[in-house]
Formats: sequence, structure tokens, C-alpha cells
Amino acid sequence: MQGIPLEGLKVLDMTTSTFNYAGKLLAGFGADVVKVEPPDGDPIRYQPPFVNDQVDPELSGRHLHMNTGKRSIVLDLDIHSDVEKIKDLVKSFDILIESYSPGYMESLGLGYEQLNAIQPELIMASITYFGQDGPYADYEGSELVADALSGYLYLTGDSDKEPVKCFDNLIEQQSSLQAAVAIMTAVTARELQGGGDYLDISATEAALFLLGGPAQMYHWTDRIAGRVGTRLMNSAPQMFYPSCIRPCKDGYVHVHSNTRYVDLLGILMEQPRLNEPEILETPMGHADEIDEIMSRWLMKHDKFEVVRMAQEMRLPFTEVFTPEEIVNDDHLNERNFFVEVDHPLAGTVKQPGAPGMMTGTPWETKRAPLLGEHQDEVLGNQ
Amino acid sequence: MRKALEGIRILEMTTAVAGPVCGHILGDMGAEMIKVEEPRSRARVPGGVPPSIAGAPDRPYNRQTNYVELNRSKRSLSLNVAADEGREIYLRLAEKCDVMIENFAPRVVGNLGIDYESIKQRNPSIIYVSMPAFGKTGPYRDRGSYGPGIDAMSGISHLTGYPDREPGKPANFFCDQNAGLHAAFIIMTALRHRRRTGEGQYIEMSMLEGELQSVAPALMDVTLNGRNRVRTGNKHEWFAPHGVYKCDGEEAWIALAITSENAWNQLCKIMDRNDLKENAKFSSMEERVNNSDELDEILSKWTADKDKHSLQKLLQSNGISAGVALRPNELFEDPQMLHRSSFAWSDHPEMGPFPHTRTAWKSTRGNTGISRHGPLFGGANDFVFRDLLGLTDDDIQSLIDAKITSYSPVTD
Repeated sequence: MQGIPLEGLKVLDMTTSTFNYAGKLLAGFGADVVKVEPPDGDPIRYQPPFVNDQVDPELSGRHLHMNTGKRSIVLDLDIHSDVEKIKDLVKSFDILIESYSPGYMESLGLGYEQLNAIQPELIMASITYFGQDGPYADYEGSELVADALSGYLYLTGDSDKEPVKCFDNLIEQQSSLQAAVAIMTAVTARELQGGGDYLDISATEAALFLLGGPAQMYHWTDRIAGRVGTRLMNSAPQMFYPSCIRPCKDGYVHVHSNTRYVDLLGILMEQPRLNEPEILETPMGHADEIDEIMSRWLMKHDKFEVVRMAQEMRLPFTEVFTPEEIVNDDHLNERNFFVEVDHPLAGTVKQPGAPGMMTGTPWETKRAPLLGEHQDEVLGNQ
Repeated sequence: MRKALEGIRILEMTTAVAGPVCGHILGDMGAEMIKVEEPRSRARVPGGVPPSIAGAPDRPYNRQTNYVELNRSKRSLSLNVAADEGREIYLRLAEKCDVMIENFAPRVVGNLGIDYESIKQRNPSIIYVSMPAFGKTGPYRDRGSYGPGIDAMSGISHLTGYPDREPGKPANFFCDQNAGLHAAFIIMTALRHRRRTGEGQYIEMSMLEGELQSVAPALMDVTLNGRNRVRTGNKHEWFAPHGVYKCDGEEAWIALAITSENAWNQLCKIMDRNDLKENAKFSSMEERVNNSDELDEILSKWTADKDKHSLQKLLQSNGISAGVALRPNELFEDPQMLHRSSFAWSDHPEMGPFPHTRTAWKSTRGNTGISRHGPLFGGANDFVFRDLLGLTDDDIQSLIDAKITSYSPVTD
């Protein structure tokens, strides 16, 4: 018996770019998510990659992925009567998500206090790079700078080069994921206790959440963590090693020793030196030597072979995949991770599906909306 | 005001990082978290631990900082589930729980007799959440991996790092936090469904599939255009200059993102380089992207002798997105983090004040921050054995004698 877990929840989604992710998550599990777009459409519609590289607001791959399951209406926030329409909608909606700069919504009369007066049970989630107030509230935000001011950027990359950011808009996406969790917390509170909530989500804090230890380590030991490439952060000499990415004959693999049976690595690679006590006692202290020894074996084998042989011996190696290898991967396709979505202008698009599998109330990927597609449905004869 | 998840009891049978992260998010929001630990866990304390505070017992196993950070807002139940009696206690406890979370390799819970079918028999409306690396079905179901191995397979490694170097990796444990957040979201979704219908369900959160959501633009470029993206360091697809530049001092870096023509004009003015503005090579965003290497060189020379904090202030006050790449020691002094209490401090009974990284939001009704300090070993034993399951002193002593439970780590 399959249900729709977020049935009945109505969401006004006024976000842009990768901040759209929260609305996508809610829509995928059955909430009615209405995207409020400016007259030219959400800027994400103009971000590549495009279907066959055609620049068109209906053909952006980012939009087609990020806005699945949502409806779309167009309102011009510079026009007073359009802003009033939002206030009207809010009366019958449960959740409003937005990602404008601090103060902008309030300047339109759409701040939480103002909307709460119209709809006392409203849950409003505002996502910004640094938060609604404080010394950085007026800062010009960006993915890279939120990353920088979180401490996370500093820790990514090689020790002999500049810090490097992660792929694309990872931090923005994480902030929107955090918003989704915050929203469900507020939904739970409202359904169990009553009342709305104002959620102030910071992308910088979403990146801070990824740090995983260096801040606490500094507080307790005064040690300042640095960049370690693809090695693990804790670099005490007796710390476990290897866990790192290394080249092999035809590409790269992630190499990881068995934490319980530490001699398996040396056996797999037929390198007895790896099992000498000196190495086993202070593996991290011998990291460079271990890398050199491993390369003798790794450079003789292709990545699929490396991983097959290692996994057979319960060594948790994995291949470094390219995006193309992922799209064609047997495991993912067998599990129906990718879905084929029909779109009136983009055609049939293969794209990522569910972020998780709920057996009782499964995720559903419905196509992204055309700009203003649901204007009449949602706004009636206004 | 009560926290959102108060009154919801969650049984956490987890290891490593992803499961515990999911657990602490829910615990931070008020859920009653019972984390099951083997009697022999925590027995070895790798490296050092901070000293105990005055007046507190000296129990190093309660003071491992990574463990305390990951498992705050929970209490610890010492239980050997592999033993028959231990399993029976686990099942009886599961009857009284709303949710169970596990993130062991797929075969483990079946071998222990606590898989979904077993739990469902005792508690039909349980919400049971597994967080395997790859899923319980498919060619990779028997494959083992930790977070970094999943980073390799998700495309994140291929797409992160320097163009002239090997595949990189998000710092530390990105995969696990991503999985934990997704799982917490889905669990609250399932709880809503259960409130409305009385139905529980089985949920599987494959860590790999959760992480693939972060590389969607690259996957779309394959499916739409057959294009296989490569890593581009700190460069941006359509903004330039965009990068991380060295400032004066050890490990002093500033991130700079010019995201508008106005910002570019302001930057030229501040650098006193109007010649750059006039230069055709930099006259539009597209041209600047094409010539970004040259721009990066110019900027590097300009920032090299500047103080990073002053530079951040100067650039931001002129509407330019710039920020210091803060080092871990600088986080506790950052004015914005202080303003927002980004670190939530607990009062740990054996360590004293402990800074936790909380989830990334503030809430006007108090659903923010953390709920409780890190779990003292066996701290939930009495509550579970006596209050929930009605065991007697003799019952508990038998369990201790059989090493099915303990009040401190078993070391033999």
C-alpha cells in the first residue's frame, strides 16, 4: 500500500540557482511545490548544460534536474499587485522558501513577521550565504566565499598548492538540503504542537557542518589541521594509512586498507615490506613510502581489475569514475537510479532520480515545469 | 517550548560516521536517541584524549573528541546484540521505539537477527532506516566502502581538484554528512506519513545515490550532450576572475568571486588598474573567462603583500564577493560565527565545555542547536533495563556477568 508522505503540504518556492534543491526534495515526496518565477524565469534556466547546447530557458539541464515536480507561476516583484498575490497565496500555503539577500523580502512586505500576521501557521525558510543578520549580512555572497568563510575551503586540496573548492555549487546545494531538514523539523513541530516557524539557514554554516573535526581538534589540542589531498585528515604517524587516491594503469583508484586485517594490503599487492612491523605500527608516518611501494603493483593493473581483486579480499577499494562511467554504470541502472523523463520541449531526458528509497511511500520524479505553466491553475482569474 | 521531535524514541545501531550524523541531527531536534554500543567498544583509546575536569571521574573512553562530537544529543546503551539474550533485549526495546537506524554492511543486521523483517514482527509500524554504501540490491551490494571510496565513485573526486593534478576529494567526510542530512529529512517525512496512516516502512538510503545529487550538472552534461566534464580548480564556468589567491603570511588565502560587471569595475578601481578595464581581453565576463589564467596571475601579484582580513573588508565594502579562507583556529573568533553561535556548546560532565558544530539554521521556536552533551558509556542502561523493560537488579547482574551489558568498556 503506497502513500504520498508529504501530501497536503503546499510550498511556495521563491528560490534560485542551487537553492532550489529543498523544493525538489519536498516535491519528490508529494508536496505541492509552486515555483514563483520572475518574468524571464528563474536565472537557473539560463545556466548550462543545455539540451544539445541550445541556450533556452526550457532546456537547461540544471533546471530540468533541480525543479522536478514543481509547478510554475510568474510574478513580478516590482509590481505591487503581484506582491499582493503572494500574500493572498500565503493564506492557503504551509511553507515559503526563499533565497534573496537579507531584508529584500521584508522590504516588499513579505518578511516573516508580516506574513505570519496573515498566516500564523506559516513555516518560512530563508536561505542566504551568511545568515539574516550579523557583521556579514550585507556581504556580497557567492559559493566560493561561503566556502572560504566556513573553514571548509582551507582544508580541501594539496598542502603545496592553494586551497581548492569542490565541484560546482556543492555548498549552495548543502544549504538547501539543510533547509529541507529544517523545514521538516518545523512541519513536525507544527503538526504535533501547532504554530509556524522562521528558519534562517546559512550556506556558510552548511559548509562548516562538513568540516568534521578540525575545529574541535584545534579547541582541544591547539593543532591546526591542514590540507592533505586525498588522504584522511588525521595525520598522526600511527594513524591508519592508506586511504587515498592513487593512479593505476588506466586511471585512478581509491585505495583503502582493511582496518581490522591490516596485512591484507601487503598480501594483495605481493609487497612484504608493507607488512613489516615498522610500517604497520606507524602507517601514516610512512605514507610516502607506502605510496611508492603500492605504485609498483597498481601501475600493472586496470582500475576495474584493481578493485575486483581488492574487494574479493575485503579491501574496500573503489574506482574513480568519470561522469560518463556513472551514467552507464550497471549497478545504478539496474537499481533504476536514473529515470527517463518526458518533457514537451526537451524530449526524453535521462536524469538522476531519487535521493533515497522509501518502500512504503516512494519518491516520484515528475518533469520540471515550463515557465508560467500553471499560472491559471494557481492564480485563477486574478 | 518543546523541541520538535520530543516524544519520539529512536534506536541507533550505527558505526563510522553517516549513521551517527543522522542520529545526532534528530537528537539535536529533541528525539530521544538510544545509541547501542557493544560492551567492548571504546575500550581502546587511539591517540590522546583531553584531561578530565576537576571532580569528574577519569574515564578516557568518555572523552574521545570525535566520538563526542558525532554522538552528542544521544545516550548510550551497552548491549551485545550478537548474544541470544542481547538480541532479545534489543527486540523488546525495538517494540518501544518509533525509528531504528542502522548503517552496517548489508549482511550484518540479518546475521544479527535484527533486520527489518525481524523488527517488523515485533513492531509493525517501525520506521526502519538502512544506510548502506551502495544499496542492498545491484552488482555493488557486496562491495565495502567508507565515505572517501564513495567520493571516488560518485564523480566528486574526478570533478574536484586542480586541472593539472590527480582527482581530488572534498575535505574530510562530506559523503557522510550528506547522507546523514538526507536520511534525517526522509525519516521525518516517514514520521509524517505514520502520523497520518499509522504505517511504518523500510527505507534504504544508498550513500552513493545521495551523493550523486551533488554532481547532477555533470551527469546532465553526459546525458544531454555526451560531454564528460573535467575538474577546473577554482575557476567558474561563467564568472571571472574567480579564485583563491595568496596573501601575506603563512597559509593566508583570500577567495575572490567577481560575479558582475559592477564588481569588475570596482575591483579595477581598487587595484588602481583602469588599464585592465580598458583591455579588450577583459571587457566582458566571457572574455575574462577566456583569459582567466592571465587575470589570476595579475591578482596573485596584487594580493601577495596584503593582509587577508583587511583585504576582505576593503573588497566587501565595495560590493565585491571576497572572503578569507579561514583556518580552523580562526573559526572561533570569526565575528559572524560568534554572532550566530555557529558552535553550540555543551557542558560535558567529564570534559567541561565542548564546542559542537550544529546544523546550519536558526529557528524562532527554538528548533536549533543541540540537545545534550556526548553520551557517557552505558548512560542509558538503567533507563532501558529498569524503566522500559522492567528488568530486576538480578536480571541486570546476570547480563553483566555474561558480558551482554556493562557499565564501562569490557577490556578482555
